[in-house]
Amino acid sequence: MINPFDRRTAITHLIEAEGIARVNPPMLLEANQYFELAGEEFGRSLLMSLANDGIEYCLRPEFTIPIVAQYVRQGLAGSPVAYGYMGPVFRQGPEGPLEHVQAGVELLGQLDPEQALDEVLTFARRSLAVYRMTTPDIRLGGVDLFEAILANAKMPDVWRPRIRARFGHPDAMTRLLDRLSEAHTSKADVSAEPIDKESLTEYVTDRMLAAGFNPADGRHPEEVAERYYEKQALAAAHVPLPTIDLLRLYLSVEGKASIVLDEIEALAGLYKFDLSAPLAALRHHAATLKALAPQSLVTFDASFSPRLDYYTGIVFEMLGGDRSVLATGGQYDRLLQRLGATVPVTAAGCIVWVDRLEQEMQQ
Amino acid sequence: MSNGLTLAIPSKGRLEEQSREAFARAGLVIERSGGARSYFGTAARQPDLTVRFMPAGEIARELIRGTVDLGVTGSDLVEDAAEHSEDAVLTIKSLGFGEADVVVAIPDPWIDVTQMVDLADVAADFRTRHGRWLRVATKYMNLTRRHFARHGIIEYRVVESTGATEAAPAAGTADFIVDITSSGSTLTANGLRVLEDGIILKSEASLFVSRSGDWSPMRKAQLEALMSVVNWVPPGITTKL
Repeated sequence: MINPFDRRTAITHLIEAEGIARVNPPMLLEANQYFELAGEEFGRSLLMSLANDGIEYCLRPEFTIPIVAQYVRQGLAGSPVAYGYMGPVFRQGPEGPLEHVQAGVELLGQLDPEQALDEVLTFARRSLAVYRMTTPDIRLGGVDLFEAILANAKMPDVWRPRIRARFGHPDAMTRLLDRLSEAHTSKADVSAEPIDKESLTEYVTDRMLAAGFNPADGRHPEEVAERYYEKQALAAAHVPLPTIDLLRLYLSVEGKASIVLDEIEALAGLYKFDLSAPLAALRHHAATLKALAPQSLVTFDASFSPRLDYYTGIVFEMLGGDRSVLATGGQYDRLLQRLGATVPVTAAGCIVWVDRLEQEMQQ
Repeated sequence: MSNGLTLAIPSKGRLEEQSREAFARAGLVIERSGGARSYFGTAARQPDLTVRFMPAGEIARELIRGTVDLGVTGSDLVEDAAEHSEDAVLTIKSLGFGEADVVVAIPDPWIDVTQMVDLADVAADFRTRHGRWLRVATKYMNLTRRHFARHGIIEYRVVESTGATEAAPAAGTADFIVDITSSGSTLTANGLRVLEDGIILKSEASLFVSRSGDWSPMRKAQLEALMSVVNWVPPGITTKL
């Protein structure tokens, strides 16, 4: 009989394996960097603490951000390093504060980013095996695939970042696409007097000054005027309906990876989009997973993405019996620049929910 | 400490007067024994009832914690103090005063923004354009976060503001606000406009009962007895505690 302590020791061996540096970021972290990176939505889940000087701290809610921030601060950006960790994290749960144990690896600045992701997948698979979870359901998502489709699709450029901002939030995405398609049937606001942009900008500036707002601070008058025109333009139907249909169709794709990736390739052929690079990467990692866990169901879900804009390539989840997430991770190159790296740095990593695995074993 | 119930009444201003008037009209006369500086009061013919005078925000928090059993406060404060307020407190009676709306208000010169969806677009573009998040000033941290989450907006920051929130956009400390308003005149005077779908909550002063306290059969009976004095007994209230 192997006890929980021995299993944690086995996880320790994985995160201290050759070539991996074990790190232990502080338990008490400045809350601001989480708000800056992840916004209020993630901020709600922090367990906050206020210092006497008014600076807000939080109990460590996860490991990736402090580890990557430290890597950038030490001037290592670009050099290949692998970090491993295990320890408690703290979150605000629906019923009160929660303590979890997470373990994980972060592979930064690796020369071959796809191989790095394979190593991450292998780590997740091995960690689950420690808890005899040999056939987890595995879900893949493609952030770069969605970004490639968005870049190829016909639409006014202003809409690309806005649609991107809703990726990973199905409700908000549905609402936005509905709004964009309704714009085709609603009539343009003809009551609006045609007015040139300079005059409109001036008008907004005057109103800002009259109401005591500083036009140089926050939203600028030109920005307000531009978006006002854009709304008028949208009322004249500018995001083509075929584009909206394509996005809806693509986002609804979900199923066995080997099958649906072919379907997506066929769809791309129809629209003459070049999606070969992101599709090849997805096929490669789906194959890796099939080799690592032959009995597992590996699915691709086109709408699956963490709602954090620093994920870049492929993301994944490994799910337990009651669909609880046991391991989650992916490629997040953009986080490095967000944290101050001045050169592009590749990044792949994952976390394993150790306490959930322990519970899973008991059932 | 007696085993009796504790009733919290707002300690200041119109809210205090109107709360005491509402109870007096219903037949429960509350005296503030030591005058306006005292934190304790008494209720006529209710020797076991402890009356405490507290700030309305504190009443909301204490109801949720269960350290007071009954309290008069605004539903805005209760909703903001608890993630699931219906699990923590029950409304016994709306008292018909202190009516006001918690609203999303933006600078009126933002002629392109009339609804929450516009704000979602502005938020999505803002960080790329200005190198910082769109900022909302409010004292309603939780209500704001929940409302924005419902509208799928995550690209923003909350700036906590405990007074004169309506001045924050002009002062440059925030881009727009979530605040409480009854007539809207303070907002207009500060050049702000409520979004067409910007009402987060319609608030009013109500009498709440805490569900977190220790509701022994004895204390439930005390609650029913007290409520029958003022004739505000919602059927089956004690079965929901």
